[in-house]
Amino acid sequence: MLTKLFSNLSITEKALDASWLRNEVIADNISNVDTPGYKRKEVKFEEFLQKSMSDSGIKGFKTDARHFDIGNTDSKNVKDLPIKVVVDNSNSSVRLDGNNVDIENEMATMAKNYIKYNVLIQNINSGFSMIKSVINEGR
Amino acid sequence: MSFLKSLDAAASGLSAQRLRMDVISQNISNINTTRTENGQPYRRKIVLFEDRNQNKPFYKYLSENAKSKISDTQGVRVSRIVEDPSPFKRVYEPGHPDADEDGYVNMPNVDLVTEMINMISASRAYEANVTSVNTIKSMALKALEIGK
Repeated sequence: MLTKLFSNLSITEKALDASWLRNEVIADNISNVDTPGYKRKEVKFEEFLQKSMSDSGIKGFKTDARHFDIGNTDSKNVKDLPIKVVVDNSNSSVRLDGNNVDIENEMATMAKNYIKYNVLIQNINSGFSMIKSVINEGR
Repeated sequence: MSFLKSLDAAASGLSAQRLRMDVISQNISNINTTRTENGQPYRRKIVLFEDRNQNKPFYKYLSENAKSKISDTQGVRVSRIVEDPSPFKRVYEPGHPDADEDGYVNMPNVDLVTEMINMISASRAYEANVTSVNTIKSMALKALEIGK
């Protein structure tokens, strides 16, 4: 019962996790802005979320628990969504030291991520206040 | 305290840039030093940065790939401070006590313009890290407001 009550919030929770991790990765990138050969990292989460939401492809029918998953595994469990840190090895760097951190890009992403985090916090708070309102019978 | 390890990353950036700034000011202050402990003119010092994530044992890569999470140590560290091997500047100054028999003095290989530019770069990178500290801090404080 209670798990149902908070099920809307769990996706926000996951997004908050991703946002926090993204902030960590950006801080790492910024601190390594002058490190020769450093390649910037980024967090992939929204792509996976989008995919799991729009996925309606073919799904393998399992007759045994030991079978492999085919196609859309579709666990519908938000907690299982991956949050991945990938290294951007693209050779977009014009710098001679092999570093591809673009400080303007990192600062902009950090600002964006900060606002997004605040939005998510507000979202989760409004979710809680709705539940509170119900518990208090709307008073 | 692993949930604030991004603060550690930003702090490592701050201290690395500060050290770089220290070395740059040492270079500038010794721009005319013709005699050091080893009898040679002063040689320009360079700070080498290195990703703190490097040089980790192999098993760490395996465990990280399994979890696909970022590792515990992030940020930057100063790996070494090396001396610039480029040749000294030769200046004709026969009256100088350190002049050789031809009247030339070896001056330090410090170029003021390069040092000033590196200083600006270090100061901007420091500011970027300060911004990132502030962002992390306000995000962590914002998280405390959940459920209020």
